[in-house]
Amino acid sequence: MLAFRSEEHVDRWCRIWGVSRGASFSLQQAWQLGRAWYADKLSPDWRRATPEEAETAFAGIGLTGDFWRLR
Amino acid sequence: MGSTETFDRNVRLFVYRRFLDRGEPPSVAEAAEGLGTSPAETEAAFRRLEAGHVLVFAPGTLDIWMANPLCAVPTAFRVATASGSWWGTCIWDAFGIPAMLGEDATITTSCPDCGEPFELRVEGGSLLPADGVAHFAVPARRWWDDIGYT
Repeated sequence: MLAFRSEEHVDRWCRIWGVSRGASFSLQQAWQLGRAWYADKLSPDWRRATPEEAETAFAGIGLTGDFWRLR
Repeated sequence: MGSTETFDRNVRLFVYRRFLDRGEPPSVAEAAEGLGTSPAETEAAFRRLEAGHVLVFAPGTLDIWMANPLCAVPTAFRVATASGSWWGTCIWDAFGIPAMLGEDATITTSCPDCGEPFELRVEGGSLLPADGVAHFAVPARRWWDDIGYT
């Protein structure tokens, strides 16, 4: 996952490099992903989220649709 | 929790603590020495953690490439906090480092399209307002097909 200056920069980069346009979203949502995924990573009790839990976390950040499905 | 699970947890925590303290991940031998365990037992734990997508090895080795959100090799995402500096694997992981540490951070990156550098600042558990967008090329269910590319 990369950080671009704007949607126009994503479009141009995808076109030039032949990369399929995936999902783009705000940096605030990316920060929320970082928190949801890693806030407890140093806890002894940490465990990987199940696909269902991960999809619920994505949806809570407004990341929905087929791109974000794990099952 | 079974003994293998407990051992793997201890190895995981050791890897992360050493990675954070020294800026690079431990080898199997270093982890074994630090934990007072045998290299063979420690290698088996590394392999189980890799199979569980907790660690990622450099291809064909047991060298830790990623212990997400930390990356052992330079990337486009440098993260600096009061306690150190590390490479994040991607922008998600770059944000994950201050989230994991509970610290303020400055993330230095650049736009892959135009190359313009920019900084993102996390303070008090929030990302300060910033222009820009994140882009993920690979759909979620294919992330682990080639995690290096993802």
